[in-house]
Amino acid sequence: MSQEIRKTSEEQNEQQPSTGDTAPPSRAVITAPIDIYETDEGLVLMADLPGVTTDTLELQVQDNKLTIFGRVSPVAPAGARLLHREYEQGDFLRSFILSDEVDYDGITAKLNNGVLEVNLPRMPRAEPRRIQVDGD
Amino acid sequence: MPVFQWRQSWDQFRDLEREMDRLLESIKLPFHNLRQQHQFPAVNFYELDDKYLLVAEMPGIVAQDVELTVAGGMLTLAGNRTAPPDVSDDAFRRRERPHGAWQRSLSIPERVHEDKVTAEFSEGVLSVHLPKADDVKPRQIPVATS
Repeated sequence: MSQEIRKTSEEQNEQQPSTGDTAPPSRAVITAPIDIYETDEGLVLMADLPGVTTDTLELQVQDNKLTIFGRVSPVAPAGARLLHREYEQGDFLRSFILSDEVDYDGITAKLNNGVLEVNLPRMPRAEPRRIQVDGD
Repeated sequence: MPVFQWRQSWDQFRDLEREMDRLLESIKLPFHNLRQQHQFPAVNFYELDDKYLLVAEMPGIVAQDVELTVAGGMLTLAGNRTAPPDVSDDAFRRRERPHGAWQRSLSIPERVHEDKVTAEFSEGVLSVHLPKADDVKPRQIPVATS
């Protein structure tokens, strides 16, 4: 979306997962850019989360919903005057509905240099089995 | 509808997402994505009393692969973000992250101590500290009393 919209702290509290930290008011929530590609084992999701650490990242699967929430600490010190801006400081939030073909228990993730990689393995297919038919 | 179904439902997902984008835009929810509207890496530039600070978001870049030069009032950043290896184009279901070689040059508004420029890299964020030359730093001017 093209519009740059700030949310109120009340709206933010409703929509952001809680990490237990005290969040400054009126922070933006930003949709992280992602890649998704298919492998022999399933799907791989990669998300750009610059400034997010393993301590400030929440990766959650609830029911069939995968949610990524990364909190970002300000880099510029207090009192710094902004001369040129190309991105807004904010926290990353994105969620997806997973299909039943994903093996939820096998989901793994790693975070390196601000890129989250989530492996979503495909549920193993049941092997065909012969069913014995008993006669009278 | 589930997002992560394999091939057959991808077109349906894209239709749904387009529809959702249109809907979200019309009701002005506070979600936006400035990062996709700028070239990679996106930069912010700050001024402090004694220095300038350039902050560049470059997730997926290794610090050793960033080339940073300061000369003639220009700061140049260059590097390369490689796509995942051994993944064909057909295997991608969604591509929003830019890949490939990049270079950006930005003019520095005032003179800086070019030989004292320092940089640090953490969690995909590069911070470049550009100390101001002494003659452009703010000076306290004493006011004499008569």
